[in-house]
Amino acid sequence: MVRFILKRLGLALITLWLLTVIVFFLGQVLPSDPGRSVLGPLAAPSAVHALDHQLGVDKPLLTQYWHWLTNFPGTSYQYQAPIGPILTSALGRSLKLAIFAFVILVPLGIIGGVVSALNAGRPIDRTISVVGQSMLTVPEFVSGIVLLVVFAVELGWLPVTATAPQGSGFFTQLKYLILPVIPLVMVLFGYIARMARVGTIEALDSDYARTATLKGLPRGVMIRRHVLRNSLLPTITVIATQTGYLIGGLVVVETLFRYQGIGLLTYNAANQHDIPMLEACVLTIGVVYMLVTLVADIAFSLLNPRIRLRSAE
Amino acid sequence: MSRGDNELDRLRSGRTELENHYIDELVSGRLNRRDFLRRGSMIGMSAPLLGAILAACGSSSKSTSSSAAGSSTSSAPATKGGTLRIGAVAPAAAINPLTISDAGGLLMLNQTGEFLIFDSNLKLELQPMLALSWSPNTDGSVWTFKLRPGVKFHNGAAMTADDVVYTFQQLSDPKNASNALSAFTGVLSPSGVKAVDPMTVQFTLEAPNGNFPYLVSSDNYNAIIVPKGTNFGSWQSTFIGTGAFILSKYTQGVGASFTPNPNYWGTKPLLDSTTFNFYTSQAPMILALQGNSVDVIAQFTPSGAAAILNSPSYKIISLKSANHRELSMRNDIAPFTDARVRQAVAYTLDRVGAVAALLSGKGTVANDYPFGPRFPSTDTSVPQRTQNIAMAKQLLSAAGHPNGFSTTLKTEVYQEIPELAQVIVEDAAKAGIKITPTVESQTLYYGKATYGNSDWLDGTMSLVDYGDRGVPNVYLTAPLTSSGPWNAARFKNPTYDNLVKQYVAALDLTQQRTIAGKIQRLLLAETPIVYPYWIDGLTASTPGVGGLNPTSIAQLYLNTAYKSA
Amino acid sequence: MSIVDIPVEDAGALQAGRSEIRGEVFRGLLHTPAFIVGSVVLLFWIFCAIFGPAIAPHSPYSQNLLGINKAPSSAHWFGTDQLGRDMFSRVLVGSRDILIIAPLATLLGTVLGTAVGLFMGYFRGLVDDVLGRFVEAFLALPVVVTGIIALSTLGRSNLVLIVVIGLLFTPLIARTVRAAVLLERELDYVAAARLRGERAPYIMFVEILPNVFAPIMVEFTVRLAYAIFAILTLTFLSLGVQPPSPDWALDISSNYGVVPAGYWWEVVFDAIAIATLVVSITLISDSVQGALEQ
Repeated sequence: MVRFILKRLGLALITLWLLTVIVFFLGQVLPSDPGRSVLGPLAAPSAVHALDHQLGVDKPLLTQYWHWLTNFPGTSYQYQAPIGPILTSALGRSLKLAIFAFVILVPLGIIGGVVSALNAGRPIDRTISVVGQSMLTVPEFVSGIVLLVVFAVELGWLPVTATAPQGSGFFTQLKYLILPVIPLVMVLFGYIARMARVGTIEALDSDYARTATLKGLPRGVMIRRHVLRNSLLPTITVIATQTGYLIGGLVVVETLFRYQGIGLLTYNAANQHDIPMLEACVLTIGVVYMLVTLVADIAFSLLNPRIRLRSAE
Repeated sequence: MSRGDNELDRLRSGRTELENHYIDELVSGRLNRRDFLRRGSMIGMSAPLLGAILAACGSSSKSTSSSAAGSSTSSAPATKGGTLRIGAVAPAAAINPLTISDAGGLLMLNQTGEFLIFDSNLKLELQPMLALSWSPNTDGSVWTFKLRPGVKFHNGAAMTADDVVYTFQQLSDPKNASNALSAFTGVLSPSGVKAVDPMTVQFTLEAPNGNFPYLVSSDNYNAIIVPKGTNFGSWQSTFIGTGAFILSKYTQGVGASFTPNPNYWGTKPLLDSTTFNFYTSQAPMILALQGNSVDVIAQFTPSGAAAILNSPSYKIISLKSANHRELSMRNDIAPFTDARVRQAVAYTLDRVGAVAALLSGKGTVANDYPFGPRFPSTDTSVPQRTQNIAMAKQLLSAAGHPNGFSTTLKTEVYQEIPELAQVIVEDAAKAGIKITPTVESQTLYYGKATYGNSDWLDGTMSLVDYGDRGVPNVYLTAPLTSSGPWNAARFKNPTYDNLVKQYVAALDLTQQRTIAGKIQRLLLAETPIVYPYWIDGLTASTPGVGGLNPTSIAQLYLNTAYKSA
Repeated sequence: MSIVDIPVEDAGALQAGRSEIRGEVFRGLLHTPAFIVGSVVLLFWIFCAIFGPAIAPHSPYSQNLLGINKAPSSAHWFGTDQLGRDMFSRVLVGSRDILIIAPLATLLGTVLGTAVGLFMGYFRGLVDDVLGRFVEAFLALPVVVTGIIALSTLGRSNLVLIVVIGLLFTPLIARTVRAAVLLERELDYVAAARLRGERAPYIMFVEILPNVFAPIMVEFTVRLAYAIFAILTLTFLSLGVQPPSPDWALDISSNYGVVPAGYWWEVVFDAIAIATLVVSITLISDSVQGALEQ
């Protein structure tokens, strides 16, 4: 087991290093003039040139790469302020939203999937499938604006923004996050329910389950003890693969609900050609994704010993 | 002789030639009351003096307040206390008084910073702020300002002429590449700013300039007075200034909050604190007002704001502003080398429809020159160009393009501009001109903002936004003079250059108007740029909010603001 | 490669790559309700994309600045938008850009992904490890973010959209193909080919490829829906299709700000159109998958 984890960790570190190279390269590819970004459109070309030199833009690439790594995360061109605090608070907000979304999504999806599987082919199965599919097709900006207009403006039940006032308690913050979470749940529910359904059907069909039923084990017990664990497996897969989206891809929801998460930060940085900020954000999202994938890997193999043994070869 | 005339004579004695000239104009009716107030205040005549002159001439005058930025716009009783929540567009960059050029950023500057002069949109006149009085020499090449005594910066230090000198030297120094250079290049250089005594500053200009006070007023939104030696790069950590509010906290991309300055020289604010919430686009901001998450929207554009414009539940303050869009055509690229082709494009545009549809009526039709209702020096006798497709086709035929032609347009994603581009394309098609638009992000569109490196400046047709200014000087020089840095149309006309020089130097309003008339007619004939409309400056609030003092440049003064429960 | 690579949804299709069954499978499809409904809807939109301008009651581009924001009526079934254009005509014609960009992008991703997946699955060892690290690194970049970077740099154009989305889908598809190839290479016919002395490229593309065609097909249809989403989101962020195209996502992005004013028709009909297109593609991909699992 330990060998397995170490091997995974090792591979992850290599991928991480590769990611830093790719991100740095992306930053170099973007046509930008840091001197110009800082001084603005009216600056004389000589002043811009001087600042560029000061910022080290004309040094060899390798030097710049090393400088970037050792000074990570650096200073934002756009805000002329250290990226660190801005990035960490944005990441924190994105994580809160993502975790809240998962906390609702996972139980809902698993229940939906298991119920579907247990009643495979019957009306309830079809209904859940159709509902899941239809919700999936509504883009977040459409569901977002409808929810805002109906629940926040017309009915006034919920706040119109996702950013709770400074110093709000845990439950207040949660209240502010309810509306933005709904479009996310709508988009991902169908996928998770489907995964859980497939996993449950496979587990139900397995030799172990059939033997257990033949031996007289009550259905409920069998489901809880064996099937559920296997429905969990594909769900872990989904959580891992959707992390990139839930952390870094929520630009639309963040704009609509005025929530300075890392998606919005990245979007603004890309638009403004704020290279240091952009690189820092993309790398952070990448690292979070890799961490989650690593944890999912380990969880997956913990739950399914066969995989662990096979891949340890 | 009536008593009024004796009174008038008394007031006249001791006045400068220019001031007397304005009084002459007022008496003879060539200057109306409003323009007299404006012009008079601009050359430094004090409010009581202006009021007395008007009274002596037999017209009643409103008393003008002499404390900065203080005017109430509603009749609801003012209540003390409370926190005002304001929704505003997020500043695009660092809050550095020298380099700020966006609406979100400049809104932050005026919360804690103050100017020598305040250009009041509500009273349509220049009011003393940190300068108590000012006056020009005979030809307008030297201006002397007397400062207000007893003003303290937020750090307790007293404001003196040294601080003012430092501020303007930094602003006008080409090495600093300040955004204010758009106002100061060719007008003021650092060596021209000097302290005569601790309370007097003298500006020696590079050429006579009749509108100079505007250039050191709140119109020049970068020109807040800071202590001598301030490092502008780190100004955003303190927001130091002389204003009625002090910075409490500023968080990039999220918001800012301010509390009243207990040592403020003027009327203390009524509010306990103000909180600004930043938004990256307008729709969530409007929803926030509707959802009671903010009390005020600092500035918004009519496009997409139907929800609050058409609703009786919100107070809308609408200011005539010089905010506009410029559709430039490369005068050096065929077929736009022929003035008839350029005129044809201008004739296809349905300006009335554009104002109705894109601005929900909150704007005014513009003619193809940068003079408009906001500027008293506009010659209003020049006829307004209207949509005339037949005329457009005629002009095109005469120029050798009977079946129209194809061309491209570059523009930016900003407020209603993508929609305006579509209107322009659709209208031009009616005369056979086929335009292919490209709508880009602002960063891509502005590029490096130098010739050859910017879609804005290089596009065969280019549609760009211009923010409000108190006087049309920048609009006349930067985009249209032969050496102007923003000349996207590549318009090179020596007669025009000459006329602009004369206009800038003219001290006298009537003189300015005469020259303006010539400029207007020249530009109509040449039409290097099409100006569709002027956009009103809009501020919205819930009914219980009052005392807001917005300017058409997107500043918002909250000294007299209040919020009843 | 990490274990989370094998999406369980494809597990069934992996088993059924045999070419003999294929003919029967497709005939069976034609009787599946889901497939029929999906195809009909898709064909409808394709028809509209091609012939829409001819059958639309008004031009999707002609403006009426004095008749803006009008509610649905007999003159304008779907109402008018902020420039007075007829919404019904715009919705009818609005599928064109999406129906061109999405399939091309997915096709690009599929072709490249298949190639990479074949290489990784067949050669294993060092090739697999190295390519695998690259694939994982690229997977860590969210599609929307990378799209934003590419488009704000290179400017909005349909070509950039296609290339960016295609490239970003490559690792995802490579993963699936690799898993399939790993299973296939153990089979007899591959060993036989090697014994015959066939070279690697031949074995990969001529022997193995036809037999992994099924999961590739499934991936294509699944990714197509995602491509549509990616294009929608990017267009919404003003980075996708250019105005004045009557594209659905562009209309939603331009008009969503007026929903609070009550002009719901400027957004709802476009959203429904998008929904029907995505559902039709999902139905098709589901039924294909289901058929291959028999």
